[in-house]
Amino acid sequence: MKRVLYVTAIFVLVLAAQVKPSEIHAQAAPARVMKASAIQVLMIQSDEIKLPAEFQVALYENLIQQLEKNGGFQHVFREGDRNADSVADLVVLHSTVRGFKKGSEMARNVTTVAGKTEIDVHCEFTDKGGKTVLEKDLNGKVRFFGGNLRATLDFAKKGAKLAHDNFATNPAS
Amino acid sequence: MVQRRTRTAIVFLAGVLSATALPSVAQQPTAGTKVVQITGLAGVKANTKGSLTPENGNLQFSSSKASVSVPIHSVEDVTTGNDSERVFRGTFGNLTMLVPYGGGRFLSLFRSKVDTLTIQYRDSEGGLHGAIFTMPAGTADAFKKEMVAQGAHTSIPTPNDAGSSNTKPDAKEKQP
Repeated sequence: MKRVLYVTAIFVLVLAAQVKPSEIHAQAAPARVMKASAIQVLMIQSDEIKLPAEFQVALYENLIQQLEKNGGFQHVFREGDRNADSVADLVVLHSTVRGFKKGSEMARNVTTVAGKTEIDVHCEFTDKGGKTVLEKDLNGKVRFFGGNLRATLDFAKKGAKLAHDNFATNPAS
Repeated sequence: MVQRRTRTAIVFLAGVLSATALPSVAQQPTAGTKVVQITGLAGVKANTKGSLTPENGNLQFSSSKASVSVPIHSVEDVTTGNDSERVFRGTFGNLTMLVPYGGGRFLSLFRSKVDTLTIQYRDSEGGLHGAIFTMPAGTADAFKKEMVAQGAHTSIPTPNDAGSSNTKPDAKEKQP
């Protein structure tokens, strides 16, 4: 009985090892909405939620940094950048904060389970004409290590991945 | 032996003197406030320590590795806030979590208050940038006033009286 279990386990492991990573990606990759050579990120809005200025700026800056880091776009433009006007296939990212809970780094360090910081952001991608091409709610959180601003980095990584998967001209990069 | 004791005493005395002298130095923003650039300045790594000076219409950030200047008239918003940070930070701070019997958790109770200064400015192409700095508690409001006096804009006006601020007064009084 034991032998049968061992053999089955080994067989499963061998099968799992033979599955190519590219096949996994191919199954998980979502259908891209449109191709865009450049993306413009607008300043994060927080009309309904009272968001501290440092979180607003950290969300914006981290989002731009992550988009540049991930690649796939020839240009990542900031809000108000005049160079964005000349790009035909531009996608514009509008982000609005829908929820914010400022936790406590000390509470996280001392208790492990309490003090979580969480930010909920509604992301809307529009084309140059202002037509919405994709909408999604994302969140950023910090549960264990790091300061409260680390939640903005978590959101930025998710936002950049969403943009990369749906609009990047070179999604493999 | 006597020499060593004398040297130790002098070093101790110098340490005590410098510790008591620090708050008065920190109140002068024009002399170059010691800050940590959290994020935002182009060409400067995150969490870089340096000094920030508003002078001659420019906001000058200088560190050992980089020096960045932002025209103050291009600053569209300056806001201040307050926060606290661990005394034992970074890699060492993370390693303290491995101290047995909850020692790391105990050490994380030691925290220091800091002020945050957040600015939003435009580059030459019109692109909007943001930058966040942390500085010693009690210095951000004076710094903001100095920037506003030199042409920066703010969405939250600073009260005219020097003693008041949007930070908690209790927190400031406890500062050494």
